[in-house]
Amino acid sequence: MGVAQRSRRWLVPVATVAVVAGVGALGPVVADASPKLPTITAQDLLAKVQTAKVDGLSGTVHSSTDLGLPAIPGMDGADGMQGASQVLALINGDHTARVAFASPDKAKVSILDAQAERLWTSDGTSAWAYDSSKREATKLTLPAHSKAKPEKTLPQSYDPQAVAKQILTAIDPTTKVQVSGTEKVAGRDAYKLRLVPKTDKSTVGSVTLAIDSKTWVPLDVTVMPRTGNDPAVELGFTSVSFDVPSASSFTFTPPKGVKVTDEKVPSKAERPHSIPQRPGNPSLIKPTKPGTANAGKPTVIGTGWDSVAMIRGAQTGGLTGGPLGQLLAKAPSVQGSWGTGKIVTSKMISALITDDGRVFVGLVTPDTLQAAAAKAPR
Amino acid sequence: MSPSEATADAAVAVRPSAGRHTLALFISELRLVFGRARTQVGLGVLAAVPLLIGIAIKITGSEGGTDGFIGQIAGNGLFLIVASLGLSLPFFLPTAVTVISGESLAGEASLGTLRSLLTAPAGRSRLLAAKMVALAVFCLAATMTIWISGLIVGFILFPVGDVLLLSGSTVSLGNGLLRAFGIAIVISLSLLGLAGIGLFISSLTSTPLAAMAATFGTFVVLGILTAIPQLHAIHPWLLIYRWQSFADLLRDPPYWHEIVRNLLLQAGYLAVFYTAAWARITSRDIT
Repeated sequence: MGVAQRSRRWLVPVATVAVVAGVGALGPVVADASPKLPTITAQDLLAKVQTAKVDGLSGTVHSSTDLGLPAIPGMDGADGMQGASQVLALINGDHTARVAFASPDKAKVSILDAQAERLWTSDGTSAWAYDSSKREATKLTLPAHSKAKPEKTLPQSYDPQAVAKQILTAIDPTTKVQVSGTEKVAGRDAYKLRLVPKTDKSTVGSVTLAIDSKTWVPLDVTVMPRTGNDPAVELGFTSVSFDVPSASSFTFTPPKGVKVTDEKVPSKAERPHSIPQRPGNPSLIKPTKPGTANAGKPTVIGTGWDSVAMIRGAQTGGLTGGPLGQLLAKAPSVQGSWGTGKIVTSKMISALITDDGRVFVGLVTPDTLQAAAAKAPR
Repeated sequence: MSPSEATADAAVAVRPSAGRHTLALFISELRLVFGRARTQVGLGVLAAVPLLIGIAIKITGSEGGTDGFIGQIAGNGLFLIVASLGLSLPFFLPTAVTVISGESLAGEASLGTLRSLLTAPAGRSRLLAAKMVALAVFCLAATMTIWISGLIVGFILFPVGDVLLLSGSTVSLGNGLLRAFGIAIVISLSLLGLAGIGLFISSLTSTPLAAMAATFGTFVVLGILTAIPQLHAIHPWLLIYRWQSFADLLRDPPYWHEIVRNLLLQAGYLAVFYTAAWARITSRDIT
């Protein structure tokens, strides 16, 4: 056996590396190749989304969020900050969840953590939250009126085309709406609907929705920041089935050896906007904390993409010692006609905390935030 | 399937006598690996892991105070199997695999037996296949040792019963044992990538200790790379990134996505390093 012939054998492992790397890197790209679908206008697509109605679905959702928020050291351990950091952990980073839904009021979400699981389920009459790492179950008593809620019947004059037109007219001055192609999401053919803010005051570059071409259900949402090539938010199905899940899959029986607590859910008006944002930790179910109890409802300044929320009565003075206080201490001080304050900026979110206890938050540039603060009522 | 395995299979099919020879080679290889004192001691140490955890939990008697699988042992002895496997995965099992795989070819070379093996009619490809099969069998034996030891200790020291899954639902003890068995299988397959690396490094040197150190060093480096969050772009390609996915078998229903990804990654590592070892061993000069 000659030297040349022997050294040629090393081509086999080299080829294997190429094949393995190629399949690993290109496999998902090939699988996501744009499917061929009949062309559709943005207005028609919006109209279809309006009429989309599924009786049930189940699937796996992957969310990946990078808001560019600064890491706050010691935040997990700090008393009182636990709730906030948990909520932050829920929205930031990568998460996989199993979701199931059956009309009208059965829903289940389980977040698959590393070697643990947090789930929320409601079979219409009772709701449960369960945390496997703590082995704690919380029974949530739903307010009575939500059960008695009549099934909303659609008015006869309901015209999805008109509604779609209304939406388009409403967002037209601020947003460019277009169908930007097709893609495969969770093995299904979908249209991409792209919304681009016309203003340059927003930190949002574009929002892309992937809309299933058969059921017209949005399957994926991608938010791109104005700067950078990585999505700030990507939330979408990795697998989905539109078969109605069985009723038994929404029931929850507290297992033996699990601590069960009862919790009354506040009425709908003050309830957080969606169940999965709130883990079963009792301290989180309470809508407000003593420190922020005086904080009124946020006031929205401006319209469209560059709107800013103002929260009054935030007790910033009490935060000086904590990790959040340290973050604020490092934040640059700014002043304007509105007073003085600290400004915290990230890739997506900017926040301005004034010395007189107002907090301005928005998906806007810091300059826009200060301009909004100047216009804001005291 | 790698090309060398294909040739080995073809050889088995064509020549029955060669097939018998191959079987004899595999059996002698297994006898060599499991006959070594260090293998038996290693398996003994692994068997002691559930015993140590079990006794510690029994003495402290912590009921539900701890998060995760360890906190569930006192309530259900079956979780001793899962907790022992989970705790052995980051260190004990890789160490054992490192020692055995580093030894496999370099050990023969240091004793001078590799020379006669390479000139023997068994063929170098088949020799390598026999070494790899013996390594795979060792990986399985290692996790099975923990499974059996955990089963015995868990059933003696703790109450057993229906198994609480991560999803909050309860399954029968038999179902739970089957899931724990599945975890042992998944973990043993997770070790194959490392075994492949060890086999390749072992083919480069005639000093077993150097091969073991280099394999373990590679494992540690991969572990450090996995722990650095800034490198998240390459994390999915790292050998141990999805090792912890075995716990997905304890969901209802089991969540296969991560486990399958992990096993595909292990297969990729194994294919690359096995073919590299093959290229090395078949082009090696007999000295």
